[in-house]
Amino acid sequence: MNRQTQGALLAILGAVLLTISAFSTTYVNYVKPGFRPLLVGAGAVLVGLGLLSVAQGWLGRPGAHGHAPRVAWLLAAPVFAIAMIAPPALGSFAARLDDGAPAPSRTANYGKLGRGGVTELTLGEFIGRAYAPSGSSLTGRKVRLTGFAVPSKTGWYVTRMRINCCAADAMALEVAVHGVPSPKENTWVQVTGTWIPWKEGVPDDYEPPALTATDVTAIAQPAEPYE
Amino acid sequence: MTQPSTTDPPGQESHAPPPAANDSAGIRLPWAFIALVALLVVGRFVLAPYLTAPALQTWATVFVAVCVQALPFLVFGVALSAAVTAFVPASFWSKALPQRVYAAVPVAGVAGAVLPGCECASVPVASGLMARGVAPPAALAFLLASPAINPVVLVATAVAFPNDPSMVVARFAASLAVAVLAGWIWARFGRGEWLPAPRRTAEAGQSKVNAFLDAMRHDLLHAGGFLVVGALAAATLNVVIPRSWLTAVAGVPVVSVLVLALLAVLLSICSEADAFVAASLTAFSPTAKLAFLVVGPMVDLKLIALQAGTFGRAFTWRFVPLTLALAIGVSFVTGWALR
Repeated sequence: MNRQTQGALLAILGAVLLTISAFSTTYVNYVKPGFRPLLVGAGAVLVGLGLLSVAQGWLGRPGAHGHAPRVAWLLAAPVFAIAMIAPPALGSFAARLDDGAPAPSRTANYGKLGRGGVTELTLGEFIGRAYAPSGSSLTGRKVRLTGFAVPSKTGWYVTRMRINCCAADAMALEVAVHGVPSPKENTWVQVTGTWIPWKEGVPDDYEPPALTATDVTAIAQPAEPYE
Repeated sequence: MTQPSTTDPPGQESHAPPPAANDSAGIRLPWAFIALVALLVVGRFVLAPYLTAPALQTWATVFVAVCVQALPFLVFGVALSAAVTAFVPASFWSKALPQRVYAAVPVAGVAGAVLPGCECASVPVASGLMARGVAPPAALAFLLASPAINPVVLVATAVAFPNDPSMVVARFAASLAVAVLAGWIWARFGRGEWLPAPRRTAEAGQSKVNAFLDAMRHDLLHAGGFLVVGALAAATLNVVIPRSWLTAVAGVPVVSVLVLALLAVLLSICSEADAFVAASLTAFSPTAKLAFLVVGPMVDLKLIALQAGTFGRAFTWRFVPLTLALAIGVSFVTGWALR
């Protein structure tokens, strides 16, 4: 690999990073939204360094003629993966791999829910409230949850993945939905309904809480696919 | 590991074209690169419509996520390393660190707390320190300590374990202990020939800026290629291992600790996020979770690949088992002391 090729490889990798972070929002499929400035910075550095290397090579400036190892060609692999597979946000396949046991925050203080109308909740907050030790604040309240559909043997779950850094650490937040037949797998939906209280108190081993749905509406994938 | 074709992901048609000839003859087109772009264009329009299997897409998402998440830290680490090599005089380090290696190791380990980043940044920085004359055991203590005990990681751990501040203390103490012990053992038993000769420093007649750019490009290509190897392996295992297998062994005392230590190696989760994954493994004992948190930032697939690329295989196959054994041992001791 000569210096121009090395530079061009770095520049194209940087250009792909900029494409998914600066010029589109594809990056939210892979990392937390807060990563954007880091990705734009890294992409700009890679493009700049790559173009400088190409220019230096063509101008014949003195410099090290060190040959890059062949493994450096693998830097093209993420470029190919992004261009050809265009990996989407994690969906039902990944949710089924996970056994769905997030650590519900048992100490978080949740405010009271309004008595009338419908309250929008994240799946994480719904699960946290359902597991609150001091009696669930969900009883009798109408809530609206957003997620994608994952059919199971007994029914279906409205599901969303939670990530803390990147998609490699994703875990599934699942709420079982009763009363409405399952939409097509991986369809994004808004589910309106009421929590089904635990039969024998808050369970010791984790199991997904459930809700009785009155309405399920298909929606487009949210701008931020993860919680 | 250096044969790209054996680790190519499915659907990824980049059989590496042979490296082009030296560019000493002046202007010459980068043929290998042009072939790569042609393959990319063909693949984009011919193959892309067929690459839609859910397993493949999930694999690709995790693979791209690991790469995209690690690249900014790698670029930052490489830039810092190149700056250390090009701009900081060697005499600085001999003043900043104690002369005796055994005293320098703990100082370097504690100094790891100031580099806020994950493990991808620390490998090139440690290599840059060695190239600048820092004793290898001290640089290695820095390498092991910095991804585990920096403030960002400790705050993330505190957030992930809100009811359990002792986990933060245990993680800090155990990680620092492993880093210092590994440095001391390397100082006592390590041999110079296991590490590659320090990278060439600035060539005669080369400006500092040029030396900086050359070092940065060299390190990025080297470490970046191996980072991709690690990401390929981590994504594959992430998709192949169902998490439900884990709960089966959660109750067994010693085995559960070893299983979570192994899982930390295989999953290669960034050290800023691993505490959240550990917290979600509710069925496991605190000792097992601690082992996950101590092993992960020091030994994982992407880190092994990065170390092999930066320091060579002779180093890596000795250093990785040493670190892994120390990390598991110290986790057992710390976990026992916590109870």
